[in-house]
Amino acid sequence: MIPRKDSEKIPIPLTHMKCLKCGTINSRPFREGDYVFKEVEEKCPKCGHNKMRIIGIYIKEEKEKKKMKLF
Amino acid sequence: MSWLFQFAGRQDLFSILMSLFWFIFMLIFLIYPTFSQKIQLSYMLRDIEKKLLKLKYFRDEVRKRTIDHLNRYSDGKIEVDKGVDRLLGSVVIEPIDRDPYGIMYKLEHIVNTWEETFENEVKALCPKADEKTVKTLTNLVEVARGLDYIYRIIRHYYLLGKKTSNIYIVLQVQMILPQVMEIANAYRQASYAFARGQPIGDGVGVLAVAKLVDGMEKKTYEIAKDTVVQEAFWNGRKLLVLRAKGPGGAVGKPGEGVKKLIEAEGDKVKAVITIDAGLKLEGEESGKIIEGIGAAIGGIGVERYKIEEISKAKGIPLYAFVIYESVAEAITPMKENIAKAAEKVVEKVKRLILEKIDDGATVIVAGIGNTVGIGMT
Repeated sequence: MIPRKDSEKIPIPLTHMKCLKCGTINSRPFREGDYVFKEVEEKCPKCGHNKMRIIGIYIKEEKEKKKMKLF
Repeated sequence: MSWLFQFAGRQDLFSILMSLFWFIFMLIFLIYPTFSQKIQLSYMLRDIEKKLLKLKYFRDEVRKRTIDHLNRYSDGKIEVDKGVDRLLGSVVIEPIDRDPYGIMYKLEHIVNTWEETFENEVKALCPKADEKTVKTLTNLVEVARGLDYIYRIIRHYYLLGKKTSNIYIVLQVQMILPQVMEIANAYRQASYAFARGQPIGDGVGVLAVAKLVDGMEKKTYEIAKDTVVQEAFWNGRKLLVLRAKGPGGAVGKPGEGVKKLIEAEGDKVKAVITIDAGLKLEGEESGKIIEGIGAAIGGIGVERYKIEEISKAKGIPLYAFVIYESVAEAITPMKENIAKAAEKVVEKVKRLILEKIDDGATVIVAGIGNTVGIGMT
């Protein structure tokens, strides 16, 4: 028995980066070699500066459907 | 033949056969009283069997991923799969506790030896890996070892229950299996995180202290194995921020680090603040920050013991911040609300320092947790 449903459920985190010049925050899917506080040579989508700093790597949570909770 | 029709209430042949069938069925229950239990047992065994098969799939998948990942750093001279299998089957024997005197130091000695041996074995399998990668790969092998152990334990009780037809053994296994499967799935996701070097939920304490000193002028030095201190000044207070060295997967020796810092600083240290991830109860919100008194640090207890021992001897108060998360969240890639909690806890720590620590005094802030995917600031 191969649990197909489970084998698909591996969430990929997003890498959040901050431009070192204008402070714009941008995100993209995580790439191997990324770590928090690493300075990466990536172009800022706003000012075009090519140095950004990784400020967070985490899984964006899906908004839960509003359910009435008793507890 | 008429007696048979009389027995069946003068009905047709089908009804007679049905009546006979029920008669025999009832007879089985009478002469074989544990028949119902046998049926129940077979259902329970089948349920465990399905989950055990899923566990085996998880175990094999994680083992394969570990071998594949280790092979990337191997020089081809050593058979990585055999080396990994040897590590998966390795054991750590806890010290005897009938005479508890000095048990924490015995435990520390055994754990230190084991960690060192394990890391050296991984290093030997992956000569091409740098120091940071070796630490992450060691964590990856530990995850595979954990999952392999879970699988072997469940298989043991399944086979034992089946062999002895003991419904009480089978029942206990079936009762804990939902939680076991949740943990196993978390281990599986953890193997992805370690293979790729992604930050995990347990690293929130480290992330918080890294954010605390981010942008400050500081002096960084190593104080214990894989453990660094960052000295900085903030609002007239001296901060000694202690954490594991990143971005490789390490937890360091925070207890040893705090002990050495207090011994070096003497009476200047006015408080020890620990920040760690803590297990939430069902129904509680992940990422919730709890303030308390004591040393917020998990593990086998050696590190906590050291912090408690030295702070008691010097009369230093212990303050703790705990960020709630589930077992699964602690070992899987960090979630948004946990990452956001790291920023919130920094503000709380700053407020506590301003309130409790006098100008010119020193405070130790220890970020506890696995530092995989979290670099130095």
